[in-house]
Amino acid sequence: MQALAVVLAILALSPFLWLLVMSFKTNAEIFRWPPRLFFPPTLDNYAALWTSEFRTSFANSLVVSVASTAVSLVIGVPAAYALSRWTTRAGASITLWILASRMAPPIAFTIPYFLAYRYLELLDTLTGLVLIYLTFNLSLVIWMMRPFYDQLPRSLEEAAWIDGATMWQGFTRIILPLSGPGLAATAILCFLFAWNDFFFALILTRTDAMTAPVAVVNFMNYEGWEWGRIAAGGTMIMLPVLVFSFIVRRYLVSGLTGGAIKG
Amino acid sequence: MTKAIKAQHRFFVFCVAPSLAVLAVITLLPSLYLLVTSFTPLNLTRPETAWDFSEPLVSYSALLSDDRLGNSIWVQIKLSFWTVALQLSIGVALALLLNVKSRLLEALRTVFLIPMVLPPIVVAIIWKVIYTPDISPMHGIFRSLGLSVPALITDPDWALTSIIIADTWEWFPFTMLMVLAALQMLPQELLDAAKVDGASPWQLTRHVTLPFIQGVLLVAGLFRLIDSIKAFPLIYILTDGGPGNLTEVTNYYSFLQAFNFSYLGFSSAITVVLLAATIALSWVIIRAVGWGVRVD
Repeated sequence: MQALAVVLAILALSPFLWLLVMSFKTNAEIFRWPPRLFFPPTLDNYAALWTSEFRTSFANSLVVSVASTAVSLVIGVPAAYALSRWTTRAGASITLWILASRMAPPIAFTIPYFLAYRYLELLDTLTGLVLIYLTFNLSLVIWMMRPFYDQLPRSLEEAAWIDGATMWQGFTRIILPLSGPGLAATAILCFLFAWNDFFFALILTRTDAMTAPVAVVNFMNYEGWEWGRIAAGGTMIMLPVLVFSFIVRRYLVSGLTGGAIKG
Repeated sequence: MTKAIKAQHRFFVFCVAPSLAVLAVITLLPSLYLLVTSFTPLNLTRPETAWDFSEPLVSYSALLSDDRLGNSIWVQIKLSFWTVALQLSIGVALALLLNVKSRLLEALRTVFLIPMVLPPIVVAIIWKVIYTPDISPMHGIFRSLGLSVPALITDPDWALTSIIIADTWEWFPFTMLMVLAALQMLPQELLDAAKVDGASPWQLTRHVTLPFIQGVLLVAGLFRLIDSIKAFPLIYILTDGGPGNLTEVTNYYSFLQAFNFSYLGFSSAITVVLLAATIALSWVIIRAVGWGVRVD
């Protein structure tokens, strides 16, 4: 049983490992068949990448992802808390709205944003990207944090109110400090969703605000299939993702399904 | 209403209002703009078409007679059906295999998650490598075995299948993870009782475990179904909708109409239909899961 599981895991991961290994190969080595298990590894692909425009795109990706995460948390966390505590009949329709905006095909937002950004001069700007990333990240925050607050007993803040704290103080001094793990997981997921975006950046950026995923694809189109560099770029994009995902692996299910199933 | 409850309500409104206001501006307003655009024949190369409402339904009537759209919906149905079916079956099989208390298997669960958390563009690059005969280890193996296999993504018989394989690889961890989560909640007494009655492992799975997880399977399937409508990076990188229109799903067709051919009005009409389908499916999920119906 266990042996079977190990074999399957290796099989399932081989495409991914192949790309990883490829990023350390010279072009001649990439085209060699049968491949050598022990080949002289090279960092040339990474060096070439780091001296090109790719560095700017990588920085753009970082800035946009961090900014959109921060804004989403600041606006979304109080709302998640209030929606958790407030029994209102509007709750169900707000849930549908949030779910639908998470589920909407990106093209539904891309067309109106593209048209509006032409007038607002937000095409090819980092601000423009941060704004459109809010469409999924703000919903994600509410969606992740609300079930989290549902699990925190109300008696916590009620005790503080009896001691004379205002509602706002109850939230900031009692609830927020207890939200650490939930906030960290939510922040990481927001970062990842923004970091992973390809479609919005493909359409709404050209050069200045181009993000790393779009930049890698441009290697495919214009530079005559530089496989080593493509592999190195892909590896650099997935590295932060793998590290962060490992940290939040417990929260992946609720992040993707909004607490429908607790993992 | 007492003063305290009023204060409470004011506080809740104060907390929720910014989010709702921002969401309204960034999601509702654009959706309305999309709807409005779908009633115009907007073409970016002809600026005078921007707010032309003389024939509001022209794009929608064009939808009905567009064979390429019909083809894209059919491709979408095939892609959705096969990816959801494969992801559910592989996910369940793996979850059953890994649902044993053991250090090694718990570590493997994390390993299996990798395809799902990879950035979609990296997944697309990985499969581009595998499907490009010159550098593909898969084609290398075929050659060593003396088989002549065509380049799958440019072969009419294989193009859609190759997308389905890549998409299944990317998302089987999702169903696996959800099923595993559900299996942890399966009461041990239920299994024990069945064992006492002499049930075989196969009967246990068939009559106890599977019925227990069918709710989760439904939700996981619905989530994957909605997501399959959004398939983009794989198709963009691997086949570009081709060969011909064989892998052109509706979402991709809408993208081409808008950003390759500049027919934003027509593309908006397609997208409105897609969006309506998504909202309907989201509503089904909400009914299935029962969010919002909370007892306090």
